[in-house]
Amino acid sequence: MKTNFHTTSALQPTQWILKSLLWIVTLTAFLTSCNSNDDEGFQAISIPGITFDGDIDCCTAEEALQVYNFLQTVTIIPELTTEVAGKYYVSVYTKSGKFHTGYNDIYFVATKKQNGNYVKDFQVTALAPLMTMGMGTSTMKHSTPTSAGTRIFDYSYLALRSGWVSFLMNSTEKDTWELSYDIQILGETASVAQAPITVDALPEGQAWLKSFKIGDKSYVISLVNPQLWETGENEIVAYLSERSMPMTQPFPLSTDKFTIDIDPRMPDMGNHTSPNNKPLERQADGSYKGVINLSMTGLWRIHLVVKDTEGNIVYGGEELDEDGFSSLFWDVTI
Amino acid sequence: MPLLSIAMLCAALANDTIAEEAHNLDVVVINATTGTRQKRSVKGQVASIDEHLSQLDHVNMIRRGSYAWEPVVNNMQTERLSTTIDGMKIFYACTDKMDPVTSYVESGNLQSISLSSGLDGNPQATGNIGGSLDLRLRKAGFDADPHSLTLTAGHEWNGHLQVYGADAAFSTHRFYTNFGAFYRHANNYKTGGGHTLPYSQFQKVNTFANVGLRLTEHDVAEGTFIFDRATDVGYPALNMDVSKAQGIIGSVSYRHIFDHPLLRTWETKLYHNKITHEMDDTHRPDVLIHMDMPGRSRTSGLYSLLAASSARHDAQLNYDLYYNRLFADMTMYPGGAAPMYMVTWADVGTLCTGLALSDIYSLAANQQLRVSAKLAWQTQRLNDDEGYRALSVFFPRVEKNYYQTTGRVAASYRLARKWFQFNVGAGWGSRAPTVTEAYGYYLNNTFDRYDYIGNPSLSNESAVELNTAFTLTPSSVLSLKIDANAFLFSNYIIGRFETRLSPMTIGAEGVKVYDNLSHATIANASFTADWKPLPWLDGQTGLTYAIGRDNDGDPLPLISPFAWHVAANATVSSVQFQLMVKGNARQSNNGEKYGEIETPSWTICDLSASYPFAVRGSQFTVRAGVENLFDKRYTSYSDWNGIPQKGRNVYANLTIGL
Repeated sequence: MKTNFHTTSALQPTQWILKSLLWIVTLTAFLTSCNSNDDEGFQAISIPGITFDGDIDCCTAEEALQVYNFLQTVTIIPELTTEVAGKYYVSVYTKSGKFHTGYNDIYFVATKKQNGNYVKDFQVTALAPLMTMGMGTSTMKHSTPTSAGTRIFDYSYLALRSGWVSFLMNSTEKDTWELSYDIQILGETASVAQAPITVDALPEGQAWLKSFKIGDKSYVISLVNPQLWETGENEIVAYLSERSMPMTQPFPLSTDKFTIDIDPRMPDMGNHTSPNNKPLERQADGSYKGVINLSMTGLWRIHLVVKDTEGNIVYGGEELDEDGFSSLFWDVTI
Repeated sequence: MPLLSIAMLCAALANDTIAEEAHNLDVVVINATTGTRQKRSVKGQVASIDEHLSQLDHVNMIRRGSYAWEPVVNNMQTERLSTTIDGMKIFYACTDKMDPVTSYVESGNLQSISLSSGLDGNPQATGNIGGSLDLRLRKAGFDADPHSLTLTAGHEWNGHLQVYGADAAFSTHRFYTNFGAFYRHANNYKTGGGHTLPYSQFQKVNTFANVGLRLTEHDVAEGTFIFDRATDVGYPALNMDVSKAQGIIGSVSYRHIFDHPLLRTWETKLYHNKITHEMDDTHRPDVLIHMDMPGRSRTSGLYSLLAASSARHDAQLNYDLYYNRLFADMTMYPGGAAPMYMVTWADVGTLCTGLALSDIYSLAANQQLRVSAKLAWQTQRLNDDEGYRALSVFFPRVEKNYYQTTGRVAASYRLARKWFQFNVGAGWGSRAPTVTEAYGYYLNNTFDRYDYIGNPSLSNESAVELNTAFTLTPSSVLSLKIDANAFLFSNYIIGRFETRLSPMTIGAEGVKVYDNLSHATIANASFTADWKPLPWLDGQTGLTYAIGRDNDGDPLPLISPFAWHVAANATVSSVQFQLMVKGNARQSNNGEKYGEIETPSWTICDLSASYPFAVRGSQFTVRAGVENLFDKRYTSYSDWNGIPQKGRNVYANLTIGL
């Protein structure tokens, strides 16, 4: 048999796109600055609302342009914007300007009021969503998996912080979400406390977050950005969080180490599957990464079987659906 | 001077005829002006292309319905054959082979169909291991009847098939044109025993136009155009039908006729054709998931053919180049859920160029040696990125560009004496994998119920061909012929089970991936006898036998069982009668490994009559007959999924030449 089946890993599509974008922007900036030394005279980078006054806390023109260009690809959530000590604004962005159930990337940017420029050194901590279920006296509150803090989004983007929240459920009339976070910026601190937010339900055929129990421990597994997948080979990334006690605390990443087998199926196509998928393995940064191959577009149900470090199935071996596959699954429609 | 060039043209034609006899060339004449004893369907011009093709030796037809049959030559299907229309390359657009390219022309477009058996193909043919078919367009020609009009009408009672056609021709010494239109319509036919076979209907319209202009006595420009559109075509053997299959085929050519001791003619043709095909499952009641499966094929090309001859040689040199694009995709609509989409032919571009040479060398008055050779280079590119990425799931090392070199060489020797004629030939040739074999993506084959995935790492397939024929003519009323050939394949391409993969089509048995078998063999033998005991009576009988074996010695699928026919022709006061009895033995050498099941034996009987007559200078021909006289319910080995053949069918047609 000549047909060999094996796979190679690829860059996560988001990162790839962003990196390419960055290179283009950088290159453009570089070329522009080179040209500007010619006969035409110096042509400064100009960004609406930003004055480049040489403030060392803030970005150079080139750095600011990168951040500015990135911000054109995401959308601000105005209700989460805050002012810090009368000197800075902190703005919050997501891809669509909204939240939805399952995994959401969140981006933070701080600007100095004085010059409108992006501040390079700041921290966002205690990212804490909270749901209040029910009304009146019979309410129940719980949080959901988050990245807790934020990290520098990319080392060439010093002024951009990113984190994530994976919402267990959507907002309804009775069930409401709030989001809190703390900010430290050049010696000043501030908090956004319980800002109301709306979490939309995902459309039919999309389920990117699932809960399961092993022994006494409750886990939540969040699939990262499957909307970026396309036909062919894709990197699959997930976060495994543990339900916290009390439940009102954000759910942290689980420190338990598992291998999670993925079995992508098309329920509308007689449970057609694809070859050469690689299980989710825990990475040094706490995420889980694997490879998923999609032979066409449509609804894919990704069944998950959780194994411990010795390879014993700890979840998904007995918990089966009507077709005999693990009942722990994500649904992704591409 | 004009006389001279016409004489030369005739000489060239005469040479052609000799050439045709020298190698395994078989011609079915569709639109004959003379009543010479030539092969043609008993239904005359009104017969479909498929019925005409069935008249050729070495040819069988795979039937998926009553329209668009797939020709099989020497028990090899489309992928091992070359089909050209007047030397023009054309490729089908349906991933399920519902539209063999012969379905995009109409009998009325054609003068004849010539078949070169085996590797000794027509100069434009590439990849023709099994044989090459060239559909020759009917051009009025210069200095023909100044004007003529032909009308045809036919009716077949089984399935209420109607055929109407009209064409006109104008010809002078400097200019000719002929054009026409045809229409066919059929309802569901009845199988033996009177059961209606659902989804066996079809409808087709076809128009054509040819024009020729003599620029000088030595230079001729010609143009051809065909528009063909079939709609509402049912495929009872498949899960879906066709809403539209449309072909637009055009060419312009320039021919120079030399006034030279060696050089004869030099013809250069530019052509383009475009095929669009749309499958349709909306009329089927039990569709689990509705699907759209369109396909399109575009080919542009040229060839340049130089013919030369001397007292002992008759040579041809041909250069050809074509570029073909094949794209097909599939969208499935599960109730309520998101549509599912995949690219099944990844917009594959094929650029192929080749150089062909042939010569007929007369060793002595009764001995001839014919040699032909072709070398072709091909590059293919996967232009659709989604299709490319999907294939790379299965073949991580799939590339965007592929290069192939193929070639063929064949030689045959003929010795003719008063009482016998003897031919022996040998050849070697290779072919590149087809787009389906190399890059097809989840193509469901309803024959074995497997999903097929192409394999971009396939090697070229090659074969050694050996053939021989011996004709004995002991008296002027008897002729006996034995004909045999064998194809010894290396790297034979066929689907192999891939148990690690999961099928996509609901109900599919599994997945097969195309692969090379180290070797395989296909061999054919036939015996024919012609006997003409009385001037008004003649009889003919034919027997054919074939075997196909894979590398394990197991039977290959779709190889004909023992087949036979006996025919008697009588002419009584200018009415020609024919009685034909034909049959197949049981197909027990079925390719079980490849999903083929046994087919029982069958025998049927056909009767036909034709009567030509003239009224005030107009030529009339009435033909009538009955097929499957005893209304037998039967299925041949080549009936896809065992769909039954037509039951008793009475037909009548009329051709009027004004």
